[in-house]
Amino acid sequence: MNNKLKAKAKETRREIFDFKTRTGIGHLATSLSCVDMLVSWFYDRETLFDHTKDIVLFGKGHGSPAIYPILAEFGYYSKDELDKYCTPDGILRLHSDGTIPGCHFVGGSLGNGIGYAAGLAFANREKNVYIIMGDAELYEGSVWESLIFIAHHKLTNLKIIVDRNGMGTIGETEKLLKLAPLKEKFEGFGFHVNTIDGHNYDDLRDIYSRENTQVEVTIAKTVKGKGVSYMEGIWQYHVMIPKTEEDIKQGLKELS
Amino acid sequence: MTTQRDTFIGHLFEYAKNDKDIYLVTVDQGAPTLDRWRKELPNQFLSCGISEQHAINFAAGMAAGGKKVYVYFMAAWVARCFEQIRYSCAMAENPITILGNGVGLGYAPAGPAHEPNEDIAYMRSLVGIEIITPCNNRVTEDLIRLTIEEPKLRYIRLERKYATELDNVYSTPGVPCLSNNFLNKGVAIMKPGLSENPLRTKSKIGIISCGYMLGRSAKVMKKLLTEGHDCSVIDIWRIKPIIHNNLLECISKYDVIVTIEEQTLSGGLGSAVCEVLMDNRIKKNILRIGLPERYIFENGGRDYHLDNNGLSVDSIANKILNFVK
Repeated sequence: MNNKLKAKAKETRREIFDFKTRTGIGHLATSLSCVDMLVSWFYDRETLFDHTKDIVLFGKGHGSPAIYPILAEFGYYSKDELDKYCTPDGILRLHSDGTIPGCHFVGGSLGNGIGYAAGLAFANREKNVYIIMGDAELYEGSVWESLIFIAHHKLTNLKIIVDRNGMGTIGETEKLLKLAPLKEKFEGFGFHVNTIDGHNYDDLRDIYSRENTQVEVTIAKTVKGKGVSYMEGIWQYHVMIPKTEEDIKQGLKELS
Repeated sequence: MTTQRDTFIGHLFEYAKNDKDIYLVTVDQGAPTLDRWRKELPNQFLSCGISEQHAINFAAGMAAGGKKVYVYFMAAWVARCFEQIRYSCAMAENPITILGNGVGLGYAPAGPAHEPNEDIAYMRSLVGIEIITPCNNRVTEDLIRLTIEEPKLRYIRLERKYATELDNVYSTPGVPCLSNNFLNKGVAIMKPGLSENPLRTKSKIGIISCGYMLGRSAKVMKKLLTEGHDCSVIDIWRIKPIIHNNLLECISKYDVIVTIEEQTLSGGLGSAVCEVLMDNRIKKNILRIGLPERYIFENGGRDYHLDNNGLSVDSIANKILNFVK
């Protein structure tokens, strides 16, 4: 099972790498770090996620292209759209938004998705709302306003996952402005906090295959640029997309 | 005197009793009408604490989930969550109703932090929003039905204390309420007036204003009539969007247009009127009157500040008379 999921993740990363490097538009590294959680939800049948009913939101809208190949495969739009990413003829954009089938939120301004997700979860308690947040997004004060509300109303159908790749645009979060201790901060709200390897399918399955009675927050430790060796953990790749023929060739090879 | 806030929230309560999809979201604001919601409709009253950004994001998400959501706070706080209104409501086309209480200098003597003297300018820059300033409780109450029947992103600018002399405006005996059609017109001649000396009428002046300043506008009009001018007061309760033809029809008889607002002049009501005239190649003499370009830190109530900042009835009338001289 895990091998199949890993293969799917690799394929997804390759497609993301392909449309990003062809266009040179967007944030590739941060899209690559959150692929495995999406693959776990959409492809691991043991997880409770149901794409026909549940909602996935990206607080970190710049990472939302990670979901594009998956939504195409699930029939939300044609696979051809991946080739038209960020072109006038295409529907897929740098930040996903509600005009794209399968997407539910306007991406691009950090710190707002969590409150919006709380509203969706409150309005539809029978649906689960999964929100992927960036760790550097946690600097936004509005996030903490929303967490207070979520804790008070015990929105257990809101699944918060922090893509803890440890980096913002200009470096490592812990060197720039410390976010730690994150687990304790979330626990202070009364949330059930999981700290996992965000690329490990056993860890992801363990959390997302069981019902929760507390609000579930998952700190998923990930690697920015995951899957492309020369990008992994290099903060400069936040805004940089490989351009040289050699780099692109190597990236595609590593993801094949 | 029932405030516009209590009129809106009190009557909305009656709708909410029969419609469990109606929610009132607040940010630690207190009032007896709010207490009633809290006590009798606790599941539809959501207190977000002092967190305007979250309140708007949350309300937008609720609206996306099919709920009818009203967010109530002091009008000054719309600036605090402008980004969230733009992002989660305007861009995402989520039709929530924002009730901003205490527009203009309504919260004086609280100081400029509580007194939004430029909210029309920044709010009307938002794409697709409706901005409405009801002048009295009749309009305020009927807006509730409009928001339910025709959901849109709306910013309703409530007067903390409205001009009570406007109580009977738009009240017609035998007509219990204003229709949505009327409310959607956005502008109407509130008080038409002909010179008291028609044989020697001087200028034909159309005064355009909204909300509290309509009360002062009516008094200014009276002065201008005695001075031999034709003059009417035009209420532009919906400052965005303005239906051009409706406004142009209201002002067609007037040579001189005067806009009076409890806002600074950068991008406010007067600017919006000028845009309509310019876009339609209508050439008229226009005088914009508003608050000075400064935040008012002196102590004093609303009327004191208006009187001392160029918006007394005499001061406005003199400005107009000098303009038409």
